[in-house]
Amino acid sequence: MRVDGYAPIREYAAIGDGRTAALVACDGAIDWLCLPNFDSPSVFAAALDAARGGSFVVQPAVPYSSSRQYLPSTNVLETMFSTDRGVVRLVDAMTLPDGHLCPMRELARAVEGVSGSVPMRWRFAPRFHYGAGRPAFATRYGVPVVTCGGDALALCTWDAGTPTWHDDAVEGVFELNAGSRALLALSAAYAEPLVFPDRAGVGRRIEATADFWRRWSSAHVYDGPWKAAVTRSALALKLMIFAPSGASTAAPTTSLPEEIGGVRNWDYRFCWIRDSAFLIDALLQLGYREEAKALFWWFMQATARTEPRLQVLYRLDGGTETAERTLPLSGYRNSRPVRIGNAAAAQTQLDVSGSLLETIWLYAKGDSYTIDRDTGVVVGHIADFVCDNWRRPDAGIWEVRGEPQHFTQSKVMCWVALDRALRLAGEGEVPRSNTGRWRREAHAIAEFVETRCWSDRLRSYTRAADSEELDASLLMLSLVGFGDPRRERMNETIDAVSAALREGRYVKRYLAHDGLPGGEGAFLNCSFWMVAALARAGRLDEATSLMDDLVAEANDVGLYSEEIDRETGDFLGNFPQALVHLSLIDAALTVAAGVGSGPGPKLGTASSGAQPS
Amino acid sequence: MRVVWSAMAGGFAGTLVLAIILNGAAELALTRIDLPFLLGTIVTDRRRRARAWGYVLQFATGVLFALGYGAFFAAVGRSGWLLGALLGALHAAFSGTVLVNVLLPIVHPRIGTPDSAAHEVPLLEPPGFLMLNYGRSTFLVSLVAHIAYGAIVGWAVRI
Repeated sequence: MRVDGYAPIREYAAIGDGRTAALVACDGAIDWLCLPNFDSPSVFAAALDAARGGSFVVQPAVPYSSSRQYLPSTNVLETMFSTDRGVVRLVDAMTLPDGHLCPMRELARAVEGVSGSVPMRWRFAPRFHYGAGRPAFATRYGVPVVTCGGDALALCTWDAGTPTWHDDAVEGVFELNAGSRALLALSAAYAEPLVFPDRAGVGRRIEATADFWRRWSSAHVYDGPWKAAVTRSALALKLMIFAPSGASTAAPTTSLPEEIGGVRNWDYRFCWIRDSAFLIDALLQLGYREEAKALFWWFMQATARTEPRLQVLYRLDGGTETAERTLPLSGYRNSRPVRIGNAAAAQTQLDVSGSLLETIWLYAKGDSYTIDRDTGVVVGHIADFVCDNWRRPDAGIWEVRGEPQHFTQSKVMCWVALDRALRLAGEGEVPRSNTGRWRREAHAIAEFVETRCWSDRLRSYTRAADSEELDASLLMLSLVGFGDPRRERMNETIDAVSAALREGRYVKRYLAHDGLPGGEGAFLNCSFWMVAALARAGRLDEATSLMDDLVAEANDVGLYSEEIDRETGDFLGNFPQALVHLSLIDAALTVAAGVGSGPGPKLGTASSGAQPS
Repeated sequence: MRVVWSAMAGGFAGTLVLAIILNGAAELALTRIDLPFLLGTIVTDRRRRARAWGYVLQFATGVLFALGYGAFFAAVGRSGWLLGALLGALHAAFSGTVLVNVLLPIVHPRIGTPDSAAHEVPLLEPPGFLMLNYGRSTFLVSLVAHIAYGAIVGWAVRI
């Protein structure tokens, strides 16, 4: 049910083609699509401004209820509309190119009468450049065409009524009897002439697209508990991998709010270094070596521009320019500002060095230690950089926009950077000239964390050095192998974080002020980190129970947004969010390894000799 | 013979500059014209191959037109960048009104014309008068590109 024209975030499903993705609501409206790529300006952005954003709606013209699913093991969406007059099936797909002359990007919407006779309507209202572009309307070969600068859209329809222009939109009505079919295909072009597909070609591409997704999802090797959720998460992640470069977007959306009416609205259409270790690990453990290899080399190429200093995030093409600005859109349910670009890129976040070296370590381990010499040299540069800089305060994993602090998780990730560099040096992958210094500094970091970042009063590691506050990121100490995950301090930290930040299945990030007004929902990845931390601590019953609850929190098609409203269960934040799905996979695999049915935890038993006590 | 070689060299260099201007304008969202794509899809319906073929055809066509420019310069007994630029402007006008607008769709198996009938399915967007279907600035961009092309050929061919 829409509120002021906005569908609940939970009611969206994502379809995509490895270059961009669309959000489809339960009512048949596509409210978000950027073209030609994830990080291009939008043509449909009704999710951020119901009046000005633009959308593409196909739905019954009479009252209806709807149910949805992805076609099994695919990213092709099926929506069933039930009405008093009959039932209609809508299949939505961003089709994959077949090598022949097909549209640069194609969004296909196939409608089929299942029973009865149902009147249908559609409305195609594109708004270029986040609603700011001035479109020109025309027809070519009788097909409605909308252009704006280098962008062009054509809407080809078959048996879907006569397209008519109405208020800067194209509309149509038609009636579907049982067994009859209609087809609408949006052809998009950027900086090239439009391609007008034929009906048979669109149909073939829908089938081929579904076949591809089935083949891809059947290739993974996981066969443990929550297999369906792991498979859906893998499909969602593949949807967010930008095929032209191999990078992964954190989410295909911008500025879906962390609080309704709030200001915490961020653009996630970038690749975060922090997500890299989780993603490489998930891809390798599930058996997707090609994607892991592409992502690894993307990371190495992108970071080569700035190493040993690393940006927190990079553009999907590897670029470093991510200037942030606001758009004159009303925002999802008046949640302003709507931002594009991300200023967090300029922050100092020391943990990214650890994330990148963890990524290299995991990749090298998964690829039987075959990183090239240049990568080994880069590892050395970054390890030296960490030695020089770990004593500085930073903005931390949560990218707080207040004063820099000595965040515990950042220090631990600095330790991870040196630990992984030492492990790689031990395998002969990294020049050993500075290993003595790396080992000394790793010990110094571990000692700093054990003395300055531990509270005897709280019986827990703390959010930052010398503070008495807790933070869900402390759960990551267990996930990255900072000491034995079963040791007393880690168990006490899990208990303390649980007591202070957990409400049922939800875990807040922290309670402290973070320099921004307003509140936020519960970060779902924190809940999955809790599962993984519990499992690594050997508390499998608790981990399994929480995991069951969290898997049940997915929406009807198995997707998660970044956050959830603890009171209402509404999704908040960008959707679908890669880190949540990555954390789900990590949690499932960790629990499965604990009960003996999974591929095993990501950390090996080899020690760098710099382990905390 | 010197005119032929210099026209061919000028045609190659001119086509290079023309391609840069057209591509640059497309990147700046001024136009959606993509000559290699239009030319290559005459030969094949495979997207990637079409672009590769298209560049070959574009440069071959560019050199052929330069030979025509050379013949014109030889006939009038003078050349130079200014005369070449004027010829380029004429060339652009011819392209926008006849060559790409009328003749290309006739020979292109995937662009519809007023003569297309039920047994044909057009796939590619037609360029339209002055190629304006590909954006309002397309003719202006094409004019600048062709003037640059003509000036280079005119400068290269010494009579």
